[in-house]
Amino acid sequence: MMPSFELITLTLLKATPLLLAAFGGLICELSGLINFALEGMMLCGAFAAILGAWATGSPWLGLLFGIIAGICASAVHATASLKLGANQIVSSIAVNLLAAGLTGLLLNQIFGVYGTSPTVAKLPEMNALLHRNMPSPDGTFEGISILVPIAFALACGVMACLRWTVAGLRLKACGESPEAAAAAGLSVFRIRFLAACAGGALAGMGGAYLSIGDLSQFVENMTQGRGYLAIAAVILGRWRPAGVFSAVLFFGFCDAASEWLSVRWTAMPAQLFLGLPYAACFTVLAFYSGKRRPPSALGRVE
Amino acid sequence: MRPDSKSSFATLLPALIVGALICMAMAAAIGARPLELVQTIWMGAWGTADAAINTLTKMTPLLLTGLAVALAYRAGLLNVGCEGQLTVGALAGATVAIKCAFLPSFLLLPLSLISGALIGGIWAWPAVVLRRWRMVHEVISTLLLNYLAINLCAYLVSGPLGDGSAMGRTPAIAPGAEMPAILHSGSLYLTAAPIFALLLCFAASFWLCRTIWGFEARSVGSNPEAAFNAGISASIWQTRIFMMSGALAGLAGALEVTAVHHRFYRAFSPGYGFDGLTAAFLANGSPEWLWLSALFLASLRSADKWLQIGLNISPNYIWVIQAVLLLCVACRQRIGNGFWRILNRLRTNSALNEHLEG
Repeated sequence: MMPSFELITLTLLKATPLLLAAFGGLICELSGLINFALEGMMLCGAFAAILGAWATGSPWLGLLFGIIAGICASAVHATASLKLGANQIVSSIAVNLLAAGLTGLLLNQIFGVYGTSPTVAKLPEMNALLHRNMPSPDGTFEGISILVPIAFALACGVMACLRWTVAGLRLKACGESPEAAAAAGLSVFRIRFLAACAGGALAGMGGAYLSIGDLSQFVENMTQGRGYLAIAAVILGRWRPAGVFSAVLFFGFCDAASEWLSVRWTAMPAQLFLGLPYAACFTVLAFYSGKRRPPSALGRVE
Repeated sequence: MRPDSKSSFATLLPALIVGALICMAMAAAIGARPLELVQTIWMGAWGTADAAINTLTKMTPLLLTGLAVALAYRAGLLNVGCEGQLTVGALAGATVAIKCAFLPSFLLLPLSLISGALIGGIWAWPAVVLRRWRMVHEVISTLLLNYLAINLCAYLVSGPLGDGSAMGRTPAIAPGAEMPAILHSGSLYLTAAPIFALLLCFAASFWLCRTIWGFEARSVGSNPEAAFNAGISASIWQTRIFMMSGALAGLAGALEVTAVHHRFYRAFSPGYGFDGLTAAFLANGSPEWLWLSALFLASLRSADKWLQIGLNISPNYIWVIQAVLLLCVACRQRIGNGFWRILNRLRTNSALNEHLEG
């Protein structure tokens, strides 16, 4: 198989969890709520997906569990920062910490193991559905999970909603000018809370992709900073859906390239390649000069 | 949330009580008796001389990273990059202590610590530059710098700076660079590092509250407009404070090398940088109370394996405790208000009852 095609497929696979999480973060931030808690939401989603798939035997129900867990984690963050007046960044950090602690704790409580969960059934792959073999050269990847096209469709759906629907407009109104939104008769708190929940659902789904789409087990701290990369993608994409989409693809490409290169270019130490996505992200943030403007009311609760 | 010294204690206490209650309820939910839990943590952290030395050793980096976060927070910045700054600081300290082994001890040890602090400060600098020039939030840039630092150091110790083994570590540092022990207990020992860190915290507290520079630094964080009108440059002070913050985290790393591990190895920090955040916020961002929160977090850390051995609870439970307390402290204004309102109502009710009965 052509290496370029392989790299493209790998990019899509790597971009999927980031895409879901980044769009979750985008919805949340457009409504005016800072969301650095994507990492924790993804982790909760990843764990609950395994738990659901293990308890019910169906990976689809596992996905549902993952989504619900993401919503719960997001609700904690939203309640603390919107209702209880916590600093939104501190609350995000606390949620990330809580997710890391709780998933490890429950992993031991429920499965009686440390570190890695037992293997469960994973979501079907594309080739199983299409009844023909998708390319899977030299075992770099086994197949493309069904969640990949779903993720891209969802991202397009979110883009369309934000652009063309009333709900999208209201969401952005809350982020740009909560006073105006309130004057127009909207409940800013409710919209922000719902936006946070929707964001949590997407991020939870992103986490579920990691555990039951990509692998078929949960590993402690398996998100490995992807939540932070997702929020960096939101900032890099200047809070515009199309921008976030391209930023995610860029990070996905860097991630794919780092894995691809570290397999092929063994003369170089792997650590250099592992750092590549973060280095690329940092460099682009540093040198990409654009008018970077967050939603006016981001982080402000009246 | 702004550090507010007047009403802070009245709101902090109820928040901590609520947090502790939630932690107890969670412990009960997973089948551990709350009192047993507290006892296990206490015995694990302070039950024996070895445990106490272990706890005090773990307190040092927490004090310094906590101070780093608190200092930056006072200037209106959030330093989430302590983990990375600590890692590069530790590697720099170890490298200097290995390469300059010919120097006498009284020069080598300070030089190693200073180079750690210096590199830590330099590692923090890009974040504040990005904030000023590109309006990139420092939380994102420092987080990315963390991953960069960890991967870069992992590369350096498995390549150019390593001891040649597959362990991914540097050679042991020169004996002259090791911090002398002041207290022995069996194979364990305690150095002066915790005292040094504690003194640094009080010095920082004095500097912030009693000097002009400290006042300028605080004013940038607490009221940027007033500071601007008074001719205090926010960007200069934020740069300085942020680099100081990075230097403190780097110093924490160098101290870990010279006082505890005597070498640098891959995945050096077990999350001291992130715990610094918890330490700083539990102490309400004030350096003079850091010792208490650092002591608490260090106790949790050194007791975590006893949770596993004694109660068969995953050591991750200590993160849950930290997260719950952090959340409650972050929400302390509302929790505190609610607490006092309920207390007042109870008091008026009982007074009313007494009045009616009497």
